[in-house]
Amino acid sequence: MAKVSVENLHKSYGDNEVLKGLNLEVQDNEVVCMIGPSGSGKSTFLRCLNDLEVPTEGKIVISGYDLSDKATNINLVRENIGMVFQHFNLFPHLSVLQNITLAPVQLGKQSKAEAEKTARDLLATVGLSDKADAMPKSLSGGQKQRVAIARALAMHPSIMLFDEPTSALDPEMVGDVLDVMKNLAAQGMTMIVVTHEMGFAKEVADRVVFMADGLIQESGKPDDLFDHPKSPRLQDFLNKVINV
Amino acid sequence: MKKWQVAVVMLLAALGSWFTVGTQAQAKTYTIATDTTFAPFEFQAKGGKYKGIDIDILKAISKKENINYKLKAISFGAAVQQLSANQVDGVIAGMNVTPERKKTFDFSNAYYTSGVVMAVAKDSKIKSFSQLKGKTVALKTGTAGATYAKSIESKYGFKIKYFNDSNNMYNDVKVGNSAACFEDYPVMSYGIKNGIALKIVSKQYEAGDYGFAVKKGKNAELLKKFNAGLKAIKADGTYKKIIDKYLNSSESSLTGETASSRTFIGLFTQNLSTIGSGLWMTMELTVISIILATIMGLVLGVLGVMPGKVGPAISSTIIYIFRGMPLMVLAFFIYIGFPDLIGHGFKIPAFIAGMITLMLNEGAYTGAFVKGGFQAVDDGQMEAARSLGLPYWTAMRKVIMPQGIRIMIPSFINQFIITLKDTSILSVIGIVELTQTGTLIIARNFEGFKIWLMIAMIYLLIITLLTWLSNWVQRRIN
Repeated sequence: MAKVSVENLHKSYGDNEVLKGLNLEVQDNEVVCMIGPSGSGKSTFLRCLNDLEVPTEGKIVISGYDLSDKATNINLVRENIGMVFQHFNLFPHLSVLQNITLAPVQLGKQSKAEAEKTARDLLATVGLSDKADAMPKSLSGGQKQRVAIARALAMHPSIMLFDEPTSALDPEMVGDVLDVMKNLAAQGMTMIVVTHEMGFAKEVADRVVFMADGLIQESGKPDDLFDHPKSPRLQDFLNKVINV
Repeated sequence: MKKWQVAVVMLLAALGSWFTVGTQAQAKTYTIATDTTFAPFEFQAKGGKYKGIDIDILKAISKKENINYKLKAISFGAAVQQLSANQVDGVIAGMNVTPERKKTFDFSNAYYTSGVVMAVAKDSKIKSFSQLKGKTVALKTGTAGATYAKSIESKYGFKIKYFNDSNNMYNDVKVGNSAACFEDYPVMSYGIKNGIALKIVSKQYEAGDYGFAVKKGKNAELLKKFNAGLKAIKADGTYKKIIDKYLNSSESSLTGETASSRTFIGLFTQNLSTIGSGLWMTMELTVISIILATIMGLVLGVLGVMPGKVGPAISSTIIYIFRGMPLMVLAFFIYIGFPDLIGHGFKIPAFIAGMITLMLNEGAYTGAFVKGGFQAVDDGQMEAARSLGLPYWTAMRKVIMPQGIRIMIPSFINQFIITLKDTSILSVIGIVELTQTGTLIIARNFEGFKIWLMIAMIYLLIITLLTWLSNWVQRRIN
C-alpha cells in the first residue's frame, strides 16, 4: 500500500480555487520533489498532508490513516509526519535542545533524559553538536533550518515534508541544509520536498512532480522530466529557472 | 424575559446565594448608615472615629433601648441609595423629612429642627438672593439647602452646581467659583466657627425636621425603639447635653487636634493611622483585584484566540460590556443595582462589590491585550508545534503563551498601575480607601491642599514601588 495516497484533492479560499483535483501516490522510501511556479499550490498541497490546511474536497490517506475521517486523531498522524518550514519556525523562547525535546517529552514518548540524548545525537548528525544550549536567535539561517530538521526527526516520523526549506537562506547556507536532506534520503526516509533547488531534485529525487495552476501537469523520473519535458508549461518553466 | 436576561439573572442569583448565607446569620445587628462630612452631625475625629450629634444620639438611644448596630459612614447620597436598596437598615445623617422622601422611607419623630441659610465668601458683597442673578450657586446633593435653592432658582435667575460633600461646596464658594451656597444652619455655623472662610448672610428658611429613616414598611421595630429612646433621652437631659456639646464648642476640643498639628508634617503624623488604614485598604483592593483581573484576562485572552467562533464571541462580548462601562457605573450597579434586582434582603459587602467591580473592568482590559499578545505570536509557531503532534492546549501552553506573555509584560505593568489608581473610584460605594481617607480628613480640618498633596505623594510612592517591582520581574523573565 502506498505510504501517501491523495485522491481528487481540492482546496478553495472563498472563490479562489488553489488546488483543482490532485492525485498522487508516494511509496515507502520514495523521495518526491515538487517543483513549479510560485502560486501553483505546491505549499498548500504539502500543508494539506498534515492537516494544517483542511481540504475542501478529496481524500488523503497517510500510513493507513484517512485524514478526512472525523474519527482519525490528527495528533497521532502528525507524530508520524515531520514538517520543515520555509521560515524554520523554531520556538524562540526555548534553547536548541529544548526545541528538539519539547514534543517527545510533552507527548510522553521519552523521558527528559532520553529525549536529550536523542536530541544530542540528532544535533550531531546535522553537524550542530556545539549548539545544544544556544538560543535560536544566535543561530544563522542555515543552522536554524538544520535544528528544525532535527526537531522534526526527534519524533521519529516515517515521512518528512519540506516546504521550501532553503528558500529563506543565504546562498552559502543552502549546501549544508541540502546535505542533511541528502543523508536523510540516503537512509531511506520517505520525503516530499517542495523546492526551487533543481540540482537537488535532479540528484536526490526518485520522482519529480511539476505543478502549475493547482494541478499536477507532469511527473516522472528526474532525468526524463528535466531533459525531455513534454508539456509546454514545463518547458517554459525550466527555461526560466535554469537560464537565470 | 429574553434568554440572555434569564442567564444573567441565574448567574447573579448563584453569586447571590453565596453572599446571603453569610449575611443572614447576623440579622439582629442593624447596619445604620451615616454621612461622612456633615459636621457637627457627623464627622471623623482624630484617629478615624466618627463623632457628632447624630452619632451620639444614636449611641444614647441604642443604650437605652438595647439596639445592636454597626455604623457605616458613607456619603449622604450613597447612604440614601443603600437604604432604598435594602443594603442598610437605617440612615441617620441630618436627613430632612420631606413628602418626597416619605414615599420611600419611614421616618422617626423629629430629633432636630433646622432651617436653611445662604452663605457667601467672607469678602463677598452679596447680601440678598436678588444679587445672585446670573451667578453660580453651589449645592450639596440631597440636602434641604439644595431643595430650597432649586425652588427659587428661576425666580432669582442663578445657575446651580452640585457637589457630593460639604467641603468641596464650601471651597468652591471660598475660591470664588460659586457666589454662594445653601446649607443647614447648624452645619454652616459650626463650620464657620471652625475656620471655614464664609459668612452667613440670610435668615433661616424652610425650617425642617431631621429624622431617622428606615425603608418604608421595613424595620418597624427599630423605628419604634428609636422613637421611644429619643423620648427617654430628651426626658433625662442627655439630648440637651449632646446638642450643647456640639453647637457650643470649638472643633479642636472635639477632634483633639491642636494648632501645631496644622503643618504638613504635623498633619501627617496626626493622621498617620487613618491614612495607614486607607492605604492598607487600597493595597488590599489593588493586589486582590490585580490577581483576579489577571486570571480573568488570561481566560478571556485564551478564549479570544480559540479556534471556532464561540470562544472569541464570548470573549469579545465580555470585553465589550465591561470595558465599555464606566467603572463608577459598574460599581453602583454591582453594589446597589444588583441587590435591588435580586431582592430578598440580599446584600453584598462593599469590599466584595469593589473587588468584583475592579476584576470585571480591569479583567476586560487585560483580556483585550492578552488576546492581542497571543495574536502577535507568529502563526508559524502554532503550526510548527501542531505539526510535531502537540495537541492544541499543549501548544498553547508551551509555545504560544510563553511568547505572548513576554509581549504583554509592559501592558500588564501599565494595567497594574491603572488598577491601583482606579481603586480610588470605589470610594463612591463607601469603601474607605486612600482617596476617601483624604476626603474624610479634610472634612474635619479643611486642609485641602496639604492633605491632597500628601495623598498624591503616597500614590506616587506606591506606583514607583510597583513599577520597580514590575521592572524587576520583567528583567527576570527576559
